[in-house]
Order: sequence, then structure tokens, then C-alpha cells
Amino acid sequence: MAATDTSGAALPPGGPQSPTRKSLTTLALVALAASAVLGSNVFGLRAQLLGVDAPEARPAAAGRTVGEQTPAPAPTPAAPAEAEAEETLLRSQPWWQGLTTAQGEGPSALDPVTVSGDAIQWRVNATCEGSSIAVRAEGEAEPLLSGDCESAAVGYGVQTGDVGLRVESDGPWALEIEQQIDLPLVEPPLPAMTAPGTTTAATGEFYRLDQRETGTVTIYQLADGSHALRLDEFFVTPNIDLAIHLSPLEAPQSTAEFMASPSVYVAPLDVTAGSMNFTVPADIDPAAYGSVVIWCPLIDSAYAAASLVPPA
Amino acid sequence: MTSLATTLAPTVARPHLVVRGQDIPVILPSKRDPRLRLSAVIMTLHVLGQTMLGFKVSIAQILVCIGVGALIDGTVTYRRQHVLAWPASGILTGSGVAFVLRASGTDNGDWWSLNGIHFFVIAVVLALLSKHLIRPGGRHLFNPSNVGLVWALLVIGPNHVFPQYLWWGPNDLGVALAYAVILAGGFWVLRPVRMAPMAVSYLATLAVLIGAFAASGSTFIAIWHDGPISGLSYWANIALSPELLVFVFFMMSDPQTAPRSPRGRVVYGMATAVLTAGLVYFQPTEFGIKLAILSSLVVVCAAVPLIEQRTRPVADVDTDDEVTPLPRPWPTRVAAAAANPAIIAAAIITLAAPLNTAALAGNDQLILIERGLTADGNPQ
Repeated sequence: MAATDTSGAALPPGGPQSPTRKSLTTLALVALAASAVLGSNVFGLRAQLLGVDAPEARPAAAGRTVGEQTPAPAPTPAAPAEAEAEETLLRSQPWWQGLTTAQGEGPSALDPVTVSGDAIQWRVNATCEGSSIAVRAEGEAEPLLSGDCESAAVGYGVQTGDVGLRVESDGPWALEIEQQIDLPLVEPPLPAMTAPGTTTAATGEFYRLDQRETGTVTIYQLADGSHALRLDEFFVTPNIDLAIHLSPLEAPQSTAEFMASPSVYVAPLDVTAGSMNFTVPADIDPAAYGSVVIWCPLIDSAYAAASLVPPA
Repeated sequence: MTSLATTLAPTVARPHLVVRGQDIPVILPSKRDPRLRLSAVIMTLHVLGQTMLGFKVSIAQILVCIGVGALIDGTVTYRRQHVLAWPASGILTGSGVAFVLRASGTDNGDWWSLNGIHFFVIAVVLALLSKHLIRPGGRHLFNPSNVGLVWALLVIGPNHVFPQYLWWGPNDLGVALAYAVILAGGFWVLRPVRMAPMAVSYLATLAVLIGAFAASGSTFIAIWHDGPISGLSYWANIALSPELLVFVFFMMSDPQTAPRSPRGRVVYGMATAVLTAGLVYFQPTEFGIKLAILSSLVVVCAAVPLIEQRTRPVADVDTDDEVTPLPRPWPTRVAAAAANPAIIAAAIITLAAPLNTAALAGNDQLILIERGLTADGNPQ
């Protein structure tokens, strides 16, 4: 630290430098200059050479399904308009995004499915009405899945890019193909949220309970009297099986306090980062509740909460 | 005459070692050496850090840093002076690096963890290389541990290393003890080297400037705090941070890299504070603020020859007995500097430290890390 060096030590007198010393000096200066460039992280050079623990920016997922090949699954009540994919550093709990569905009868070859380079893995859910089904990916010796039609079969793959699939079955079949990603989901508000007759029932900003959080919640009363909930610029520490609950407490301050009051389950929180929409079950009146809580039933932990405030 | 008297004085048996028939003098630490006081203060803070303050550094990391620093410094001294001297400076550099540098993934209580030990070793090696190789005026220009830390934090980067937090934790007794050690230790260390005015000038100037930033709405984020830190907390967490006091009392106060004149030292303190504030202003993260503090000292250390020249008492500059040589023309001076590797190295370090620190302000990954929003565990 404060090297109060009183020795006065100095380099030996110079004199003509040997070629070796000259080369070493030049090398040291080049290394110093290189480390100065590395330290600036220009063009992400440092991250590329030394690696990153924090993720690099990638485009967020713009919907629960890729493109508009499949209708949006529950809990989104209606397929939102296509959102712009924006660059993001945030990462979500890995979640399944729809790629495509296909139906047919008997042996068939499908159009190639494009699996994103960002995908962790992908899967095929198959149902059939004959006796058995097998699905093969092009270039793979072993089938992705094979089984009888009495129970649904699932097969997993890790290839990315265009993947050709071949179905072998002796009757009608249906496939649902999904990819698993950890990108935030950035959905635009549902059309119903901006339709005439829709009002904002309450808003709130998330605060920390047991885990990190950020973002806001808005509850809408839609024109048909039902309710929908939207999270904006949201993040909570990822975990599986998180859920959105409504609590009668106005501002729960701990897991114990939250658990002491009966709350209601609203929807699963399969995506833990981004902006997204959820429907509120018809039998729940959000006006009877004071806060939204992100709840982890696996470990009985309230991750974050937002006090609901009616619009002024 | 003096040397003759010394030669003729009765010789006192001094400790020495005989290796292969060669007599090697051994120089043990002197009680009057201010570096011993400094070592005592820093080691006390290390103990508090391990036991009460939750410092995320292991005993093994500290010992390796001290060992590497001592080995390099001892070897260099032996090769230059053919003596085995107590490597006080190397020990201080090693413990200074271990005091500030943290390797991602090390937790308090991992007593013997060698996690990220290569980062510590390289920081200490580079610190001491800068001390022994970058000596444009015959003495080292940069504070060794400071330049090693700046290099490590900027080049290895926030994904793998981070500096000790400005906030030392919620343990009231531990923090109170730490403040007591820092303030008493500061008085004990600074008085004999006449550095108290420098420390006061730095702290007072920085307190005013950071206060102005706080009043104008500046904020920063840190992993240990929910949401942005603003207002009085912004001011207090920077201007009154124990980490800042350690930096001023025990790093800036190195007489080898500070100006020698009292006026020069005050200017040095104020200049470092102004530069610290200038770099802090743009930083949205604690990591960036800590780098701003450290990098400002790199720049001002490089300017110490200039400060000394400008603050030299008139009597030293203009005497009848001395004929002041005419200054050489600029092109000649630039050409001479360009041929001096030590000056080139100093120039690279002096430019890169503040520029790369400023670049941290736009580092989105760092913001994510400081907000604790990385999905796969946080580097801090």
C-alpha cells in the first residue's frame, strides 16, 4: 500500500542496452499497450478473451411463440401484436417458447423447423391415434421419440438452425415443437388492454422481499368486465415454479407476513424477466386485494411484492 | 570527513548470513521504520475484515499476496545491493492488493480458498514491476499497489474481480472498530511523514464536490443496496467511506510517490480529489466509483514531477549561485521522452487508467452485476 520505501534503491546505471534487453523492453511496452486496449473492453475484446459471467446482449423474445405459426397458449388470453425484439442483458428462468405445430396422418416429412441459436434445447410433444409413433431428426441415427399412442411422447434435441423432422406413424398424429430459451419475454400490451372501455384498476412497483426484483405491475379491468395483469420491465431472481399471487396485505414485508394472510393464485410465472401479460381468473376480484406477490411454493419464499394503488 | 569518521568508528557486529562462503548482510526491520506502523494498521484491518466485517477475501489469498510481494522485493534488493533486507515495501504492496482486490466467488469464511489466486498474483507482480521498472526520474512514479489494482480491475474486469465495497457492512461494532483503527492509525502513520495536510486537502475537497453531486441528483448502484443510492447516502457512502479513508491515509500518503514540499502535497491532495470527483461524476456503479478513486491517483502520481516543479519554493528555484539552464525546446524534449521506455510506459498507464475508467460508465454488464440481476449467480 503506502510503500514508504526509504531504501532509495535505483536501477543500475544504464549504458548501452543489449539486444535481449531491448527486445524485452519492446515486448513489455507492447504488452502494456495491449492490456490498455483490453482494459477498455473495446469491441467486447475483454469479454471475448476472458469470458463473461454476466450474459452478453441478445434480442429479447418478442412473443410466447416464434412468428405467428401457432396461437398463443394460455395464460395469454389473445395473441398480442408482434413486438420489436430489443437487445437485452437480462436473463430469465429458462422457458418454453412455441416454434410450430403440425398435424398429419401416416409417415410424413415436415418442413424444416428453425431452432434459434439462443435456444438451450428444443422438444417435440407428440400425440397419435394409431398404434405407435416415432419422430426422427435429419442426420440423427436414433429417433427423437418413439412410443405407443396410449400416452403422449416427448423427445428432446439440441441442434440449432434448420432441423428437418420425419414422422413415422400408422395413423393421425399431431406435433407441438418448442424451444427452451432464457431470454426475457417482451410482449406488447394485449389489444384488449388498450381497447375502448378498458380501465386501469391498479398499479404498483415491485420491491424486494427475499430476492432481487425490478419492474411494475398494472391490473386492467377489460371492457368485458374481466381482468388482466401486465408486468413491465420486470425481473425477479429466476427459479422454477414461481407464481403470481394476490395478497390482501397492502405492503407485505416478509414471507412470514405474506403467509399469515390468505392469498390467491393468479398465474404461473414461467418467464422471470421482461414485459408480459396474464389473465386474472374470472373468480378473482383484484379490487379485494392490496398487493401482488411473486411466490415460490417450492421453498415457501415471497420473492418480491408490489403494493397496488388505484389510479388517482 | 563524515565518511572517514564512519570508517574509523568501531564496527558493530551486524547480522549476516554465510552462503557458500559468501558473507551476506541481513537488514532487519527497524522500529522507527514508518512501514512497520503501516503494516500493523493494515494487518489489524485485515483481521477485522476477516472476523467482523465479512470481507470476501481468504487468509490464503492475503498470505500469497504478501509472500509474492516479499519474494519479488527481497530478490530485487538482493540483486541490486547484495543484502538480504526485510522486504517491507513488498509486504505492504501485497497486503495492499489483498486489502482491496476481490475474486468473484470467494466468500468470507473461505479461509484457505485459493479461488482466483492468479488474479492476485498478477496484480502484485505488476505492481512491483511498475515500482522497479518505471522510474523515469530515478524513483518510481506510481504507487505500486494502486497501479496493480487499477490494472487488475480494468483488464481482468468486473466479471472476475471487484474491489472491496465502499460500505463495510451492517456490523456496527465492527465498523466502529474499523473507523477507530483507521483514524488512530492514520494519525500514527501520517504524522511522522507529514502527510496530514495532504489527507485533509483531499478529503475536504472531495467532500465538497461529492456533496455538490449529491445535491444535483447524482446516484449510484451497488450490489449491497436495493435501488439507487442518492442524496445524503450518496455523499456519505463515498466521502465518509472507510475504504476511501484507507486509500487516503495509507495509499496516497506514500512519500515516495507524493511531492516532497508541504505545498506540493496539498496541491497533490486537491488535484487528486478534483480528478476523483471528475471521474466519479459519470459513474453509475460502485465498481466505477472505486476505479475512479484509484485511477485518479495514477494520473496525479504521474503529474507529481510537474507539481513539484510548480510548487518548489522560490529560494530553491532562483539562487544567485545557480545558473538555471535554458529549457530545451519542445521537439527535443518530446524526442527524448519517446526514446525512454519508462516514460512511454508511464504515458500509456496515465492515459489508459482514466480513459478505461470513464468507459466503465457505459458498461451495461457492470450495471447488471451491481443490480444483482445476473441469472447465473453474481460475480460480486
